[in-house]
Amino acid sequence: MTKVLAVELSDSKKLSGDTKMGEVFFKRFTFNQLVQHWVMIGSFMALVVTGMPVKFPDTWWSPVIINLVGGFEMRTQIHHAAGITMVVLGVYHIVFHLFVDKDPLSERKVWPTIKDAKDFWQTIFFYLGKAEQPKFGRYSWKEKFDYWGAFWGMVMLCVTGLILMFPFQAMNFIPYAYVHLATIIHTDEALLATLFIFIVHWWNVHYSPEVFPMSKAWITGNLSEEQMKHEHPLEYEEIMRQMAEKNEP
Amino acid sequence: MSSTSSLRTKKKYVLITIIAFFLLISVVSAQQDVSCYHCHTTVVDEFRNNIHYEMGFSCADCHGGSEGSNSSVISSNVMSGNFIGKPTRSHITDICSKCHSKEAEDYKQSIHWDAIKKGHPEAATCTDCHGVHEIRAISDNKSSSNHQNSPATCAKCHSNTEIMSAWYYGIKTDRMDTYKESFHWKALSNGYSIVATCADCHENHITKSHTDPTSTTYIDNLPGTCGKENCHPDVKFDADIAAGLVHDKESLHTGELVFNKSGLTTQMKAYYLGPFDLAFWIAEFFKYLTAGVIGAFTGMVILDCLSRFKLKKRW
Repeated sequence: MTKVLAVELSDSKKLSGDTKMGEVFFKRFTFNQLVQHWVMIGSFMALVVTGMPVKFPDTWWSPVIINLVGGFEMRTQIHHAAGITMVVLGVYHIVFHLFVDKDPLSERKVWPTIKDAKDFWQTIFFYLGKAEQPKFGRYSWKEKFDYWGAFWGMVMLCVTGLILMFPFQAMNFIPYAYVHLATIIHTDEALLATLFIFIVHWWNVHYSPEVFPMSKAWITGNLSEEQMKHEHPLEYEEIMRQMAEKNEP
Repeated sequence: MSSTSSLRTKKKYVLITIIAFFLLISVVSAQQDVSCYHCHTTVVDEFRNNIHYEMGFSCADCHGGSEGSNSSVISSNVMSGNFIGKPTRSHITDICSKCHSKEAEDYKQSIHWDAIKKGHPEAATCTDCHGVHEIRAISDNKSSSNHQNSPATCAKCHSNTEIMSAWYYGIKTDRMDTYKESFHWKALSNGYSIVATCADCHENHITKSHTDPTSTTYIDNLPGTCGKENCHPDVKFDADIAAGLVHDKESLHTGELVFNKSGLTTQMKAYYLGPFDLAFWIAEFFKYLTAGVIGAFTGMVILDCLSRFKLKKRW
């Protein structure tokens, strides 16, 4: 099993620089997905830094951050630029996966399944020491929740963000009161997203002892065979089965 | 021995006397330009920051009396002729209007002047916004009627429940609090001053009630007010601005179910979907969503941490 099997399945030609001789890597994310994630990180962090001081204007750190980023007007401009970047990213993501990606929609592995609900309970029992760790496929229930949570957040924040950025144009279609509602949705959803990313997502990909200081998948797009076996055993078995079939005849 | 020492002491006294004399001269002459200083020190100190002082006006220009007299003459001379002394609140406008006729004319159309005419002298007059003796130019950052100081100046009375209820019950005292929820204030308080403050919407001198059809804040006039040249021009929006509260605040949305909305204002009605006040219920929804999601997942992270003490190796 020292042949570089998994790479044959991926669309990447090269392995990352930290490849050891004979080590097998599994393609986790395509370069396209990596770039989307990088743009997301950049715009998200800029939006949090320039947005939270306005959500909490009376805190001591609010004016500190606003001064650090170059004053209130600059804060607004950074927030708007990063916001537009995120809207473009969201539109690109949807267009790509609806029209460019040729896999049938129903066969995408990202849809929630009954197994995910079972895995959810099994995970809790596993934490309590009363069950085995559930065997995950390509995406675990946590990863699916991350994805759909971000999807929901993107829709909420992009729509309300555009309303807040162009309130008077929006008022041609909605009453003024709804601009206030957009403010509530925008800031509350932003707080939820920030807390979720900083606590839950970063635990999964940064702080958790398995990956600390971080899972390099977000840079290289690859997982090691060891990681693959333990984090996505079902997918690992499936790949191995396909490889065996391929090699037989 | 002793004679030299007493001579030295004498010399010292003479020197001190000379220095004291010139000091006194310089101090007195420095105050000479305002004759009333010797008695009304505090007032004149304030007056020295007054734009009128810089332009060469004197006490007598507002208070009347003899201009020629000064400190060396007793006050009976000062108070001669057309001396007014402290003008009554309803009389202040007459004094300012001697020069500022346009402003006084505008002011006399305002609800503030209406109230004074009706016998409520505590209603705002010139000095409440511009200062009494320390009247600074509008462009001066320290002026109380300066653009960015306008919220604080108006709030002096309009956030004061005693003043607001003393002469007319029903004036809302939450106007400053509700303004603070707006983006205008959040920008202003962070030093971005090109945003609307009180006078930009309510007018500075022709301040009228929002129920007055000629008021800039009357529902039908709001599009024009918001769309002013320096604010949000070239923006087409109809009376939709009236379908919502300009002075909005979380506490105004109590979540009480309202089935008969005939008692609500047009602004308030816009927030309702059926009997539900959306501003309340959306905030409520996010409160529980955030607490639920973050609570559940943080619990999971904690469980994950704790489980590591039991299981030596995960994989």
